[in-house]
Amino acid sequence: MANEETKTLDSTPRRTTRSSSSSLSLSSPQKPSLNPPNPPPPSLPTDLLFSAQPITLDQLLSNLPGRNPQILEVLRLIGPLNSPTQPILLYGGVSTGKTSTILQVFRYLNRPFVYASCRSCYNPRILFESVLNQLLRHRRSRSSGFASSKRCERASEFVDLLRDALLRVLNELKERRGGKGGNGEMVYVIFDNVELIRSWDKSSLILCLLFRLFDILKIPELGLIYISSSTPDAYYSMTGSIGPNAVHFPEYTLNDLHGIFMRNQENPKLYSSFLSVVLKPFSRVTKRVDELATAFESLFRKYCEPLTDLKLFPDERMKRRLFDYIQPHLTASLNETFDVPVRSSSESAKDGDYTKKGSIRKTVGGNDSLAELDFHMSVSAKYLLLSAFLASRNPATLDAALFDSTGGSSSRKRKRKSSQASIDQNDHKAEEILIKGPGTFPLERLLAIFQCITSLSEEALEEEQLQEGKGIENATVGLMSDVLLQLSTLCNANFLCKSGSCPLDGSRRYRSTIDEDFALKVARSINFPLSKYIYRR
Amino acid sequence: MVAAETALAILRTRLSNPTFAHSHLKSSSESNYSKLKFIVSSSIAEACNNSVLLLGPRGSGKVAVAELVLEDLKAEHADEISVIRLNGLLHSDDNCALKEIARQLCLEHRLLFSKMASSDDNSQFMIDMLRECGLAHKTTIFVLDEFDLFTQGKQRLLYSLLDALQTLTSQAVVIGMSCRLDADQLLEKRVRSRFSNRKLLFIPPSADEMQRLIEHLLYLPKDSGLPTKFVTEFNSRLSNIISDKKFKEIVNSISAVDGTISNLLTFLFRAVSYMDVESGFLMMENFKSAELCMQKQPKIDCLQAGASVLDLYILVCMNRLEIKERNSYNFTSIMKEYKAIHDAYKTSDNYAFTVCLRAFEHLLDQELIGFVDSKGHNQSIDFRPVRLLISSRELYEGLKSNPLSPAILLKLFDHESYK
Repeated sequence: MANEETKTLDSTPRRTTRSSSSSLSLSSPQKPSLNPPNPPPPSLPTDLLFSAQPITLDQLLSNLPGRNPQILEVLRLIGPLNSPTQPILLYGGVSTGKTSTILQVFRYLNRPFVYASCRSCYNPRILFESVLNQLLRHRRSRSSGFASSKRCERASEFVDLLRDALLRVLNELKERRGGKGGNGEMVYVIFDNVELIRSWDKSSLILCLLFRLFDILKIPELGLIYISSSTPDAYYSMTGSIGPNAVHFPEYTLNDLHGIFMRNQENPKLYSSFLSVVLKPFSRVTKRVDELATAFESLFRKYCEPLTDLKLFPDERMKRRLFDYIQPHLTASLNETFDVPVRSSSESAKDGDYTKKGSIRKTVGGNDSLAELDFHMSVSAKYLLLSAFLASRNPATLDAALFDSTGGSSSRKRKRKSSQASIDQNDHKAEEILIKGPGTFPLERLLAIFQCITSLSEEALEEEQLQEGKGIENATVGLMSDVLLQLSTLCNANFLCKSGSCPLDGSRRYRSTIDEDFALKVARSINFPLSKYIYRR
Repeated sequence: MVAAETALAILRTRLSNPTFAHSHLKSSSESNYSKLKFIVSSSIAEACNNSVLLLGPRGSGKVAVAELVLEDLKAEHADEISVIRLNGLLHSDDNCALKEIARQLCLEHRLLFSKMASSDDNSQFMIDMLRECGLAHKTTIFVLDEFDLFTQGKQRLLYSLLDALQTLTSQAVVIGMSCRLDADQLLEKRVRSRFSNRKLLFIPPSADEMQRLIEHLLYLPKDSGLPTKFVTEFNSRLSNIISDKKFKEIVNSISAVDGTISNLLTFLFRAVSYMDVESGFLMMENFKSAELCMQKQPKIDCLQAGASVLDLYILVCMNRLEIKERNSYNFTSIMKEYKAIHDAYKTSDNYAFTVCLRAFEHLLDQELIGFVDSKGHNQSIDFRPVRLLISSRELYEGLKSNPLSPAILLKLFDHESYK
C-alpha cells in the first residue's frame, strides 16, 4: 500500500517534476516550486497538455544547448498540426537529454500527450494502467482507494481498453476543436526507458506489442514515441525487422558541455575560466553531465576559496594563481569523481566537507592508506567480516597451517611452500583466481576462522594488558556472542552474499564481496594483522 | 505556404497508412490481392469453407492486403459476412482467444456477451454460431494475425476452429498470416490434415514495381483542392528527381538492406518529413539525408562521439585480451592489462580502480560490452566474466574516427603481438 501511495504522489506533479529534475542537473534557477501533495491537485490536466506555460521555438532551442539538430529532427518527424506520424524512437546514452528534449518539445508544441516511463511503471500491468489512467483523466486518490480506472493485466485487454480510451479522447478533441482549436486532433503516447522491458517477464511479447501498437490499433491519430538508452539493434530480434524512425542523441561534445555548464552562472567569466581548467581532464574520464555536475560543484567551491569577492572578473595573473591553487585538488578529485556528497542537513554537509577536505589532503600527500572507515560497525562484526574475507581468499587447505596454535611460525612455513611450487602452475592458479573471484565457504569454516582470530587477538590483548598491568577483563567478553545475528546483518548489508548451497551436503555457502582495501581498513581499525594471514602466491 | 502544408499532410497521411500503398497493386490480376479476393469471394458465393495462409516477411503487406480485400467484400456483400480478428500477440492463449471470438461474435450479431462464460461454453457457443450462420448463409471470416504464435501449446483453438469447418453446415473462411514461411509445418498432424494447403507468398516488389509504387505514393492528386499550378509544379519537380540516376541508387541501397514495402514507406516518410515547407517542394537533399539516417550504425556512432578516453582504454584492453585467446576474462583481468599498458608506456591516463569500474559500468550501459552469462547475480561485478559486443573491426573504425582517441591506443591495437 505504501508503495502505491508513493507512486501516486509521484505521479501527481509529474509533468513539472520530470522536467525540473532534468534541468536541475544543469543547476538551473527555473526550479518550479514542487506542488506539495497535500492541497487538492491543481487543475487536472484535462486536456493532457504540458502543465507549464508553452514556450517559443527560440526558448526551446536555447533551453537545451547542444541538442538543436535533434530537436529540429524530432519536430520534423512529429510534423505540423493534425498530420499523422509514424512511430519515432529516440535513442542515446544515459543523460543525453532524451526525455527532457521530448517533454520540452511537447511544451512548445502544446499538443496532448501521455507519458509513461518503464522505470516507474515496473511491470506490464502498471504500465498499461498508467497509460489508461492518464488517458481517462483518472487520478488515484484516497477516495477511489488508490485504484486504477481499469484493471488490466493482459495485453489483449490493454489493447481493447486503449482503443476505447483513445477514441473517446480523440472525439473530445474533435468536439473542442470547434471552440478553441490549436491543440490538434492527435494524441501522442510516450514510452520512456523502453530498454528496461527486456528484463521483465515475457519481455519479448511486451516489446513486440509496444513496437507494433501502431499497426495493431490502426488509429492514424495516434503518435507513438519510444525513448531508449540502448541502440535500436537491441530490439531487432524481438520485434521483427521493422523499426520505428530512429533519432540518435549523441553524447555531448566538449563545446556542448561548456554551453551546458555555463547556463545560469552568476559570474560567467569566472566560471568559464574554471571550466577551461577542469573540463578537459574530466571529459577524458566521463562525458556524462550528471556525473560532471556533481564533481564540478565541489571543485568550483574550492576554486573560489582564495577569492574574496565572487563578483570579480579574473585577469590573467589571477587565473594562473587560481590554477596553481586548484591543480593538486584536480588530480585528487579525478580519482574520486564519483563520490556523491551526502547532504541531508546543513550539519552533515559541513561534516561531509570536513572529511572530504581531510581525505583530499591525505591523497595529495600520497598517503591515502590511512583513510578510515566512515561508518560504524561493531567489533565482532569486524572480526566476522575479516574472517569471511580470509575464508573467501585463502584456499581451505591452508587453514590449518595459517591458524595453528603457534601463530607466528606459520608465515615462514608458507613462504617455503610457495617457493617450492613450480612457477608455471602458480601463474595458472593466479589467473584462475582472477577469473573466479572470491571463493565460497561453508558456515563451519567461517566460524572456525572467526574463533581462531578472535582467540589470537584476545591473547594479544591479554599480553598487552599484562604488560601494562591493567586488568580490564570485560573488554573482550562477548566477541563470540550472537555471531549468527551479526552474520545475517552482514548479509543484509551486502558485505557477504549467500551463494547456492553445496550440491553434496546441501549446506548453505557464503561468499565475501568486499575488496582487499576495505578489508585492510577494517583490520587496521581493530589492530588486526590481516596481511599476515592472506595467502599470496 | 498553405498549399505546401496541405501537401505535406496528404503525403504523411498516405505514408503512415500501409493500405494506401497496397491499393496501388489492386489493379493487376496477378497480385496477391486478386488471388485472395478470388479465394474468399468464391467461398462466399459457393457457401463453402476455406482456409488460406498468407506468408511473407514482416512489412510485406499481408495485413494491408487482407484489410483491402475485406473492405471490398464488405462493400459488395454487406450483410453476408462477419469478420473476427485475432492477433497471436494478444490471443495466443486458447481460453483468451475463445473468449475474444465469443465477444466479437456477440458484437457482430448484437447478442449479449457474458464475461463469466467458461472456455467450454465459449467454444460451444462458437460452434453453434458457426452452424447458425451457415444455415443463414452468412460467412464468418476469421483473420488470424501472427498465425505462428497460435501454434504454440496444444493448438486447441486451431483444432476446434478447423474442426468446426469440416461440417457441411458451417460456412467460414480462416485467413492466417505469418512471417514464418514454415508456419504450416508448425501445425500438429490433426490440425494440418484439416487445413487446406492454400498459401499465398508475399515477396518484395521488383525494381520496376518499386518505381511505380513511389510514383503512386508521392505524386499529388489533381483533385485534392490544391491549386493546380502548385500541383503541376510539384509533380514535375518530383518526376525530375525520380528519374534521376542518383535517386535510383538511393532506392536500390535502401531496398538492398530490406526490400519490403514498409521499409520503403519508412524511408519515404522520413524524406517527406524533411521537406522544407517554405519552398514547398521535395528536394533531392531530403532523400539523401533520409538515406543517411536509415544507414546509421549505432555502435560505431557510440564509439565515435560518445566514448571517453578511459572507455576506449578499457575497450582496447578487452580487445587485447580477446586476441590473446583468453576464453574468459573479467574486470580484474582487464585492470591487470590496463596496468600493464601503463607500466610499459607511462601514459597520462592512469586512473584509480573505482573510476575505471565506473567507466566499465558505462560501457555495460551502452551495451558495447556485456556479461557472458545472464545469471550469476550473487557475484560482484568485477568478477563476472565479460565479453565485447562489438567486433574488433568496429572498434578499430571507432578509434580511428574518434577525435579524442590518443595515438597510443591505435598503436596498441595494431601491435597485438606485443606482449
